[in-house]
Amino acid sequence: MSILKLENINYSYVDGGMKRQILNNCSFEFEKGKFYTILGPSGSGKTTLLSIISGLDSPESGTFYFDGEDVNKIGLNKYRRNKIAIVFQQFNLISYLTAGENVQLAMTETDNSVPKNQKEVAYALLEKFGIVKSKADRLVSRLSGGEQQRVAIARAIASNVDLIFADEPTGNLDTATEQEIVKIFKMLTEEYGKTVIVVTHSNAVSEFSDLRVKLEGGNLITL
Amino acid sequence: MNFINRALKNVTRKMSKSLLLGLTFFLIGNFVIVGLGVSSAADNAKILARQKMRAVVEYSVDHEKMWEATKDFTEEESTEFYENNPVEITLDKIKEIQQDPRVKVVNAIGNHQMYSKSFENVLVGNEENNNSGGTYFETDEFGNTVEYEHIEPNISLKTNAFDNMIEFEDGIYKIIEGRMYTQEDIDNMSPVCLITDKLAEMNNLSIGDTVTLETMELRSLEYYEGATVEDITIEMEIIGIFDNSEELDPSDPEYDWMSPHMSPDNIVLTTESYINSSKLKLEIMAFDSGKLEYPDIEYYQDEANRPSLESMSYKSNIIILLSDPLDVDAFVKDYTATSESEYLVFDANNETFLKLSKPLDTLSIFSNIIIWLVIINAIVIITLVTALTLKTREYEIGVLLSLGVSKTKVVAQFFVELAIVAVIGFTLAVMSGSMIASSVGNAVLDFQVATADVEIDEDNDYNYYAETDYFTEVSLEDITSKYEVTISPWIIAQIYVAGLGMVLISILIPSLMIMRFNPKKILLNTN
Ligand SMILES: Nc1ncnc2c1ncn2[C@@H]1O[C@H](COP(=O)(O)OP(=O)(O)O)[C@@H](O)[C@H]1O
Ligand SMILES: [Mg+2]
Repeated sequence: MSILKLENINYSYVDGGMKRQILNNCSFEFEKGKFYTILGPSGSGKTTLLSIISGLDSPESGTFYFDGEDVNKIGLNKYRRNKIAIVFQQFNLISYLTAGENVQLAMTETDNSVPKNQKEVAYALLEKFGIVKSKADRLVSRLSGGEQQRVAIARAIASNVDLIFADEPTGNLDTATEQEIVKIFKMLTEEYGKTVIVVTHSNAVSEFSDLRVKLEGGNLITL
Repeated sequence: MNFINRALKNVTRKMSKSLLLGLTFFLIGNFVIVGLGVSSAADNAKILARQKMRAVVEYSVDHEKMWEATKDFTEEESTEFYENNPVEITLDKIKEIQQDPRVKVVNAIGNHQMYSKSFENVLVGNEENNNSGGTYFETDEFGNTVEYEHIEPNISLKTNAFDNMIEFEDGIYKIIEGRMYTQEDIDNMSPVCLITDKLAEMNNLSIGDTVTLETMELRSLEYYEGATVEDITIEMEIIGIFDNSEELDPSDPEYDWMSPHMSPDNIVLTTESYINSSKLKLEIMAFDSGKLEYPDIEYYQDEANRPSLESMSYKSNIIILLSDPLDVDAFVKDYTATSESEYLVFDANNETFLKLSKPLDTLSIFSNIIIWLVIINAIVIITLVTALTLKTREYEIGVLLSLGVSKTKVVAQFFVELAIVAVIGFTLAVMSGSMIASSVGNAVLDFQVATADVEIDEDNDYNYYAETDYFTEVSLEDITSKYEVTISPWIIAQIYVAGLGMVLISILIPSLMIMRFNPKKILLNTN
């Protein structure tokens, strides 16, 4: 069974009296444990799609299912807290917390079972993604962009969810760092069995993915 | 990393913001503390001064008002006015007042001047002026001038309608032997009395002895046809001996001419009911002869005016002692509404007090206004600051929401952040405020006293109809000396409550902003 199934998702907005249909009866199934990239030109509606399937916004019509369960039934707040994690382009970290505390935050908030020794687990996770302990104790604003994105990824898996979304996670990074981050996403599927859905317009990123999907005319097409 | 933890981290790691907010709370706190300190000191001073005053209320005829009402009247109009406006306090009313739970003792006193028969009065000490009477002249029915001896009454018989007197409550009278008359004695009109220790000593009288007095001069008997010596004779058994701590003042200009019955040593106490029953017969005789002699005077012709035990118990003045001075104002207010005549007034004689406490009232009102102004301003400022910082924290809110943190928890975090800073700011303010409150408070009181108009007319309604002045006089010094600005635990508690209230109200608008926050923004606001 698919981990995420979209059924006739529609989304439009009115701009200057003109109606623009961003998502048009969009239907798709994402398989468990795979690394997906969603491609598409700027303005094609990738972020809009991601905001809907990550429970940050609601579609005009249509339903989507997580593990066969209607997400609206789960409740968007609960869905975000227990089922998924999101990595943003601008490294969604809280500036007055250290790297370690940012990771712990995800563990505190989720209802999923997480280890008791949160602090140690946070250090270990960060270490795994290349953030040594001395850096883990720094406020995130003192870390480089690549380091911040590693922290964000560490936090994404800390809450023990199965599905991880990322919106242009390497958009602000140089090519070398981009490669490292992409490898980490790959590792998430291979080592941790997570399903990863990354929105990107970078071919370098999409080449690493198991499946490449394109948003075109408001619908998803497997390439 | 729960919301309390996050709030703590935010406060400690965003130091400049915390310092600024903390300073705001600190300044507000100082204002509020000084304000609360001053207003409570002013209120306390009033209460303390009031408590020092006697809880005495007088219910009596407002002679001044009656005079005002009748000053332009003809004699006839005047007579009619007095008939239509009986200013008598009835026994029912007196009893109703006495039964009020706030009332301790009621003095519904009767003062009867008497002539001692079986004993001698205590000497006043001015006897060389011969104040016990003298030779007077009068014209008889045949136009001849006749000489007669007038004798001054030498005993003051004081009665009360109740089995206690304010004088006992105050310790002015003290029973040294025997007992006071009881309610039973009053109900039974028992012929019992109490005499002063001086009278007892002088006449070798003791409990159980009988004393005899006459209610008028023997020669006055001739005005009552058929009356006998028996009718003016009162016999009572001594049941108690008391000490009267009042003393005559020989420097009093009236001392030289004082007659013996005015001496505090020549007082006999008995029940009102017994004396009235003893005097009733002659009262009725006087009424009946008046009826015959003055057919034109309506009063004597109206049978309703025939003397009775009931009518003899009416008073034009009673003194009420309350248990708690702080009840006085409410008591006067309650009973003023029930007064039996507009010319009978309840008076606590506290005009002076009210006038003198004006500066304190002003102080209290001013500091309350300042407290509220500061609090309202503070709420506006803190709301603005929080709402503005919220703009810069939209990203953070989005992150929290994307992690599935509920909006209420986000609001809770913001509240805790503010509350932590507020508590610290207010705690520092409590320390500094306590130090400055008393000097600031004293300075403003001095200013108030210096600028307030607190002139007092000296003879400010001193009631010369009452035999004794039961009221306490107060001075400005009495009141202001009670004013002391201290920061009590109660004030401190109030400050923290006010502080948390401010934080709660200040967080309202920002909370609404958070509740309306759309989490999608976090994805759209790329840089
Ligand atoms: N609710 C909305 N109101 C107005 N414009 C919107 C709304 N949602 C999306 N858009 C616009 O739709 C377009 C698609 O946006 P987006 O999903 O961010 O595309 P992409 O991520 O592929 O670049 C953008 O131009 C965006 O400004
Ligand atoms: Mg986008």
